[in-house]
Amino acid sequence: MASETKLSHTTALILHALDAGLVYGFSVMEMTGLPSGTVYPALRRLERDELICSQWERQSIADAEQRPARKYYKLTVAGRATLEASRRRYPLLERLIPTVEAKQV
Amino acid sequence: MTARVDMVVRAFQRGFLSCISLLVPSGQRAEWRREWQAELWHVRRACAPAGAVSWQAEREVTAFCLGAFQDALCLRLHAPKNEPRIALLHGSALQCLLFLGGVLAASYGLTLLLPGVRVESHPERYQVRSGLIMIQDEAYSNDWVAATIPVERFRDWETTRQRYFDGLAFYRIGEQAVSAGSHGTGGWEVAEASKNLFSLLGLPVRFASQEGEADAGLPQAILSDAVWKREFGGDPRVVGSVLRVGGRDVRIAGVAAEGGWRLPGKADVWLLERDSEIAAGGRGHVVAHLTNQGRSEMWASYVHIDAYSPDEPGDNLCGFSFEERTRGPWGIYQFTVLLAFLALPAITTVSMGEYSVSSHRPSWSRRLCRWGYMGAKIALLLPIVYFLSLDVAYWHTTLYSLASEYAQLAASFSICLFGLRWALLDQRQRCPVCLRHVTNPARVGLASRTFLAWNGTELMCTAGHTLLHVPGLPTSWFSTQRWLYLDTSWEFLFTGSGVG
Repeated sequence: MASETKLSHTTALILHALDAGLVYGFSVMEMTGLPSGTVYPALRRLERDELICSQWERQSIADAEQRPARKYYKLTVAGRATLEASRRRYPLLERLIPTVEAKQV
Repeated sequence: MTARVDMVVRAFQRGFLSCISLLVPSGQRAEWRREWQAELWHVRRACAPAGAVSWQAEREVTAFCLGAFQDALCLRLHAPKNEPRIALLHGSALQCLLFLGGVLAASYGLTLLLPGVRVESHPERYQVRSGLIMIQDEAYSNDWVAATIPVERFRDWETTRQRYFDGLAFYRIGEQAVSAGSHGTGGWEVAEASKNLFSLLGLPVRFASQEGEADAGLPQAILSDAVWKREFGGDPRVVGSVLRVGGRDVRIAGVAAEGGWRLPGKADVWLLERDSEIAAGGRGHVVAHLTNQGRSEMWASYVHIDAYSPDEPGDNLCGFSFEERTRGPWGIYQFTVLLAFLALPAITTVSMGEYSVSSHRPSWSRRLCRWGYMGAKIALLLPIVYFLSLDVAYWHTTLYSLASEYAQLAASFSICLFGLRWALLDQRQRCPVCLRHVTNPARVGLASRTFLAWNGTELMCTAGHTLLHVPGLPTSWFSTQRWLYLDTSWEFLFTGSGVG
């Protein structure tokens, strides 16, 4: 996917949230304040366009913490380029998302 | 909020996600459901920490779950189109079963629309009592519809003590002028019959009038269903009114059930009279009910009867069982299906072909599937035969007739026989592994070299499981088709077929 892909404001916001590192759907909701009915379909479209990729958490980690394994999303190279383009298009995005420390799986 | 309500709400949320997951394309469904269940767990922990339950928290969690609908819808709308799936269906066993299911539904639908079939599907309307026979002159034993017994002879039998019969009834059909008051006048087929005819046969009479029975002054008349509808517009109030039949007044006592009359002759009205009142002259039909002694003598559907009279020489008579002739469509169907199964080897081989000895033979479950498929085809075919044969038999007629019975017999036998033949041929042309039709026929060898080398046709499974060799001329060393199972070295040729 080319870096000049034009994203909607909402999608750019989600992509920006994902830039925080490996995150999952609910954390994107928390960061952006968007409802689940917006976030998850947007994640599907971004993944289909190869701007992000997903990965299941290792089961052993989830078992150790006695919770179900989660699916994490992260930016691809193309996604990062698109994000840079969207930052130029939506300069105020930076202010909407607080800086978050990258999370490790 | 109680823990019990909380449990119900949780169950509802999980159930909602499971239901919504049905919208997701099947290939992505399991992963989608896993992700949403995991997310739900985390959302619940975030909204209601440490097991605290509140309506506010449940509202938030439920709102989260509702978003799953949009997500599932999005996946469904952007799912790859189904053309490849349709392509996979082409030539498959499922397609064949769906086709048979469609034919079955169509034939059954037609059955519901045809009035004649609707009548036939109610055997209680036309099935007569057991132990009834029709007595005829033996000279007419091949003609079941011929009226052969003079009414005077019948009266003699009525007055004589009978060992073999405990009930006798007479009827004679002829055209008479009938005046139906305001409904007009015309020539009707009138059956002059014994008073006990309908009760002896056990045929139902609709709107039976107690008043009419009590009125001993007038003979009773039973209208046929067709005349009742045609002349009286199907009005039940006509029962009890008076008709003028052949110069006599008769009272309508009821209406015969639609399609109930299966005896020889077609009557518009049955005039039930005392035997002594039936006009002399002419010949008619006699129905008799067998005693136990009579039944023990009647070991077949046909029996010879000697009637002795003190004044006249004895008659040679015969008796036909009614059960053979009023067995209904189900009896005919069973008979023809049995006949078709017996005749099948005469029109096609029942062999499924020979199989190469190979380690690549299909597993037991695959073989079971193959025979299950054959069983499913026959299971769908048999009801199709029943409904289609009825549709053919009663396409133009709304009432039972011998012609419709023969039509059902012929149709049922033909459809069943050729249907079974098709089922076997279809089975022989399907790969034993994937049950798809083998394709790409290729002629191999020369017919002139039959005795020096093999010649025939080779067909191939498009998924690369098997090759089918069909001999051009069956010989003692290659009499029937042979299946060759392909090993894994062939797989690279079929990787793009998309059939597994």
